[in-house]
Amino acid sequence: MAMEKDILEHRLNINRRRFLSRLSLGIGSIALGSLLIPDLFSGSGSESEADFIPGIPNFAPKAKRVIYLFQDGAPSQLESFDYKPKLREMMGQDLPPSVRGNQILTGMTANQAHFPLIGSFYDFKQYGESKAWISDLFPHIGKIADDICIIRSMYTEAINHDPALTFFQTGAQQGNRPSMGSWVSYGLGSENKNLPAFTVLLSKGKGNGQGVYSKLWSNGFLDSIHQGVQFSSSESPVLYLNDQPGIDRRERRKMLDKLAELNDISYKEFGDPEISAKVQQYEMAYRMQSAVPEIMDVSKESDDIIKMYGPDCLVPGTYAANCLLARKLSENGVRFVQLYHQGWDQHSNLPQEMAGQAKDVDQASAALITDLKQRGLLDETLVIWGGEFGRTNYSQGKLEKANYGRDHHPRCFSIWMAGGGIKPGIVYGESDEFGYNIVKDPVHVHDFHATILNQLGLDHKKLTFKSQGRRYRLTDVAGNVVKGILS
Amino acid sequence: MIKSKHKSFVENLLFALNIFIIFFLVFGSGIVIPQWLQPVGRLHPLILHFPIVVLIMAMMLEFFRFKERFSTEKLYHDFTTYLWLTGAIFAAFTAIMGLFLSKEPGYEGSTLQWHKWLGAGVVFVSTIIYWCRSAGWYNVKVARSGAAVVVLSLVLAGHFGADLTHGDNFVLAPVWHPEKKLVPVDKALVYRDVIQPIFESKCISCHNPDKTKGGLMLIDEKSILKGGKDGKLIVPGQPQISLLLQRIHLVAEDKKHMPPSGKPQLTPDELNMLYLWVKENADFKKKVIDLPVHDSLRLIASTYLKPAEETEEKYDFAAADDKLIKKLNNNYRVIYPLAKESPALGVNIYNKSTYQPKALEELSAIKQQVVSLDVSKMPVKDAELKTIAQFENLHVLNLNFTDITGSGLKELAKLKYLKMISLAGTPLNAAAVKQISAIKGLTKITLWDTGLTDAEVQNLQKHSKNIEFIKSFKDDGKPIKLNDPQLKNTTLVFAKSIPLQLSHPIKGVELRYTTDGTNPDSVKSAIYKPGLELSQNTGVKVKAYKSGWLSSDVVQFNVFKSTYTPDSISFIAPPNTKYSADGAKSLIDKDLGGTNFGNGKWIGAQKNIEIYMQFAKPVDLHTITINCLRNLGSQIFLPIGIEIWGGADINHMKLLSNVIPPAAKKDDPAMAMGIDCKLNTAKPVTCLKIIAKNIQNLPSWDSVKKGPEWAFMDEIFLN
Repeated sequence: MAMEKDILEHRLNINRRRFLSRLSLGIGSIALGSLLIPDLFSGSGSESEADFIPGIPNFAPKAKRVIYLFQDGAPSQLESFDYKPKLREMMGQDLPPSVRGNQILTGMTANQAHFPLIGSFYDFKQYGESKAWISDLFPHIGKIADDICIIRSMYTEAINHDPALTFFQTGAQQGNRPSMGSWVSYGLGSENKNLPAFTVLLSKGKGNGQGVYSKLWSNGFLDSIHQGVQFSSSESPVLYLNDQPGIDRRERRKMLDKLAELNDISYKEFGDPEISAKVQQYEMAYRMQSAVPEIMDVSKESDDIIKMYGPDCLVPGTYAANCLLARKLSENGVRFVQLYHQGWDQHSNLPQEMAGQAKDVDQASAALITDLKQRGLLDETLVIWGGEFGRTNYSQGKLEKANYGRDHHPRCFSIWMAGGGIKPGIVYGESDEFGYNIVKDPVHVHDFHATILNQLGLDHKKLTFKSQGRRYRLTDVAGNVVKGILS
Repeated sequence: MIKSKHKSFVENLLFALNIFIIFFLVFGSGIVIPQWLQPVGRLHPLILHFPIVVLIMAMMLEFFRFKERFSTEKLYHDFTTYLWLTGAIFAAFTAIMGLFLSKEPGYEGSTLQWHKWLGAGVVFVSTIIYWCRSAGWYNVKVARSGAAVVVLSLVLAGHFGADLTHGDNFVLAPVWHPEKKLVPVDKALVYRDVIQPIFESKCISCHNPDKTKGGLMLIDEKSILKGGKDGKLIVPGQPQISLLLQRIHLVAEDKKHMPPSGKPQLTPDELNMLYLWVKENADFKKKVIDLPVHDSLRLIASTYLKPAEETEEKYDFAAADDKLIKKLNNNYRVIYPLAKESPALGVNIYNKSTYQPKALEELSAIKQQVVSLDVSKMPVKDAELKTIAQFENLHVLNLNFTDITGSGLKELAKLKYLKMISLAGTPLNAAAVKQISAIKGLTKITLWDTGLTDAEVQNLQKHSKNIEFIKSFKDDGKPIKLNDPQLKNTTLVFAKSIPLQLSHPIKGVELRYTTDGTNPDSVKSAIYKPGLELSQNTGVKVKAYKSGWLSSDVVQFNVFKSTYTPDSISFIAPPNTKYSADGAKSLIDKDLGGTNFGNGKWIGAQKNIEIYMQFAKPVDLHTITINCLRNLGSQIFLPIGIEIWGGADINHMKLLSNVIPPAAKKDDPAMAMGIDCKLNTAKPVTCLKIIAKNIQNLPSWDSVKKGPEWAFMDEIFLN
C-alpha cells in the first residue's frame, strides 16, 4: 500500500512540476506578455522568447566545428610563445615587487624568500611572414606560424589547476556547469547523427601531470545527450559499444525496438524527458556501432599522413594518435572534439620535462592544422591550443641555468588558435618585458568563450538555458568577442 | 619690503622691456638672434612658469582688492602691488625669451602666432593696468574685468605654448581619443590608413606646418617626398639608405634619434611597418589587400585595422517548407538551417554503406535553398554531379574522397555562386579543374592528393589569380625516426615456451632482434617472423627498420620461464593490506607488475614476507627466482636475505637456499629485478617456505629514516 502511494505521489509530483515549468516558460509567459505588450503577436515588438532556438545559429557561422587541444597542467608561455630576452639578462635577480603588485601566490612559492627571475632555457626564432617568435621546442608549430593566431595576453582568475581547468571548460570554477562542448552541442545540434556531437580524447605525457575528470565534459543542467563521450585508447574505443558475442545486428535491432516500446510506455506514464533522451542515446549507440570502427581505423591513412603526424599517431592513446583521430572525428561532423594532454605542470625540472612534452605535441598539433588545410576544412574548423593558466617568470625552488621550475601564473599567458575565421599569421596582445603583466589587449576566459561561440554563429548573450530559476550562459554575465583576432 | 628706489628702477625696467617687445614685434622679421643668445631663448619654457603663478596670485588679490575687509589693509595693497610688478617683469622677460626662441628654425604657423600675440598681450595688459590701478576711475568693475582678461590670456597663451611643445591634445590624449573610425582591411590604403597614422601619433607634433623641426613636415605625400633640411626622407625601395629609417633606428641616446628621447617612441610593429613600406617602394596609393596574402606588411597592418566588413551573404530566395525539410532529414542526411531567419540550408550526407544517388536526387525539392553540401567520402560518381549542378545557389561544395574522376566536373561550371570547392583525394586532371576555375566568384579549390603536379597547379594559379589553389604540403624530406616496436603477448611468463608476438604500428617495417644481450643491427641480426618461440629466460632486444625512415630505439622485452606452478600458495605472515594485490596467488598469476608498486599487482610489507607453497606431486626444483622491486626514493629496498626451506611435508623442511642480494647503494635506480635462488638439493619437494627478509638497519644515507622500510615482490618463478 505504502509503495503504491509513493508511486502515485511521485507521478503527481512529476506531472505537477512539468506542468508548472511548461506554464512558466510557455503559455504563462506569452499570456502575460500579451497583456503587457498588446502588439506582441502582431509581428514586431520584443524578441525575448525567440532569441535562441536550440540547434539554429543566431547568425551565419564562420566555424562549424571545434577541436580543442587542451594542454593540461599549464605549459609555460615563457618557453613557448612569449619571448622575453630581458629575463635572461636578469637571471637570478629578484622580481621587482612593483611588477608583482598584489598578485597572490600559491602555497608552493608563497614562502619563498626570493623570486629569482629566469629566462627561457631554450632559444627563440622568428617564423613565417608574420615573424612570430616561437621557441625552439616547437619547430613544427613554427612552420605553421602563418596559419595561426598567437594570443599572448590571456588571463584567468584561478591559480590552481582544478578551478582553472574547470573555468576554461565550463565558464565557472565550481564544476557543476555544462562544458563548452555541451553548450556547443546544445546550441548547434549534431551534424552527424551517427556520432556524438561532443567527444573527448585523453593522452598523457611523461611530465608532472594533473588529473582530468569527467566533470570537465559534463552536460551540467543541459540534457544529457549533450555530454561529452570519451573515446578511450583501448581495443574498444567507446566502452560498452560492442555487441556481446552471439548477438548479431538484427538481434540488436529487435531488442532496441522492443526496448523503445517499453520506454515509450513509461514516457507516456511519467513524462520524464530523460526517458526520451535515453531512447535517443540507444539509437545513436546502435548507429555508432558501425560509424565508430570506420573512424577509428587508421590503417588506410597514407604514409605521408603518418609521417606528417609522426609515427606515434599509430600508437593508440598517444597525443599524435588523438590528433589524427580528432581530424577524423571532426571531418565526420563531430561538433566539438576535446583533447587533453596531461603532464605540463613543471614546478621543477622544467627544461627537461617541457622538452619531452613539447616533443609529444609539437609535430602532431602542426600536422592537424596542415591536414585540415589540405582537405579544405581549416576554414570551417576552429583549432585551439593552450592550457589553463601560465607560469611564473621566477623560479620555484632552486635556480640553476639548466634546471628550474615555474609556479602557476594566472595573470598572463599564451594560447593559439587557427582556422574557423580567426585571423591567421598574427600575434595578438602583449605582455610586459618581464612576461608578468599584460600591457596590451587582455583576453579574459569569458572573452575567449564569447569569441569561440561567435565563430560558431552563436551570440554568447543569447545562448542561455534556464535552470533552477535563472538563465545561465557559458560566459556568465561577462565576455566580449575579441574582434581583433577575427578575419 | 623693497625700498622705493628699487621699485622705481624695476618700474623703469618694465617700461623699457615693453618698448623692446613692441620693437621686436614690429621689426621681428628682420632680426637675427646671435648664437650666444640662443640659450637665453631656450630658457623660455623654464621661466614661463613664474609669471603664470605670480600673475595669477596678483590677479586674485586684485580681484578682491575693493572688498571692505581689505580696502584699508596697507599690507594687502603693498603686497598686491609688488606681486603685480614682479609678475609683469617676469612676463616681460619670458616674452622676450620666447621671441628669441621663435627665431630658431622649426617654429611657424598659426599656433605660434596665437601664442606670441597672447603672450605679448599679457605683458602689455598687465603693465598698463599696473600704471592705471591707482587712478580715480579704477573701480571694482574695471579691476575685476582687468584681472579676468589677464588670467584668461595667460591660460590661452599657456595652452597654445603647450601645443607647440608637446603637440596637439597632449594632456587628454591618454584618455580621450577623438573617435577615430577604424578602417576595414578591405578598404584601407597602405599609406593613408597605416603609415600616416604612425606619423600622426608619433611624429607630427614636431613636423607640422606650425612647428617644422628640421624643416620637415609629415602631413601628406608632397611634404614627405620633399624631405627636410638634411635632404630626402625616403628612397623608395631602399630602406637601408633612407634617412627616415636611419633616424628612427639610431640608438635612443643619439641626439638625432627620432622621436627624441622623452617623447612617445615607435613600437617594434611601427618600426617594422615603416621599414616594410619603404622597402615596398613607399607606395602612396596601394590598397592593403593588394599586397600578397602572406606579405609581412599586410599581416602586421591588418592587426591595426578593422576586420573586413561583414560580407554576410544575403539570400533573396524563399525559405523551404519546414515540414519538407523535416521529411528529408534522416539519420544519414542532415539538413540544417544556416542561421536563424535565413532561408539558406546546408546538407551533410554520411555513411558510405547506406549512400544511394537518390539521397541527392530527393534534394531537388529544396534545390534553391541548399547553399552548402558535404558529400565527402561518399561513393558519389560523375553522373551525380548533374544532380548537384541543379543546386543553383550552392556556395560551398565538399567532394573530397568521392568517386568522381573529373570528367563530370564541367557540369559544376554552371554553379555561378560557388565560392569554395574541395576535391581532395579524387583523380583529376588540370583540364577538368580549369573548367570550374572559370566560375567568377570562386575563391578556393582544394586539390590535395588529386594527381595534379605542382607545375599544373602553378599554371592554373597563373590563369586564375583570385582563386587560392590548395595543393599538397611537402615535408622537408628529412627522414623521421620510427617509434618503438611493441610486444603483443599478454603474459611474459611461460611454463614450456612462449611464442613472441612482436609488432610495429607502421606497415612494412622490419623488426630485427637479438637474444644474446647485444644490440641488434640492420645487417647481421635476425629478422623477426611470427612464430618465434622462446623456451628460456630471455632478454630480447628489438629494433625497427624501414627504408626512408630512421631506425627506432632498441627496446628490450624480458620473458621468464616458470616450469612449475604450486597447487596452493598462502602467506604465513600477511602483507600490508594496502599492498596485498589479489592475495598470495598474485605471485604465481604470470602477470608482472612493471615498476609501479601501486598498481595492485605488487605484494608489499614493512616486515618480512613469508610464503608457503604446496605441490600435489613432488617436483624437481633447481632454481627459484623471486621478482622484487627496488625504489629507494619510495623507501622500497630489496630483501636483505632470502631463505628457501623445502621438504616432503611441512614438518620436515630443510634450508635449501640462503641468498644475500646485493646491498643497496645510495643512487641505485628504481627497477624490478629477479633474484635467483639455487637450491642445494637433489630430492624432489612437495612443500616450500620462502622467507624474504626486510631490511632492518637503515643505511646511514637514508635521509627519511622514518622506517620501517618496505619490501615488494610481484612474481615467483619455479624451475
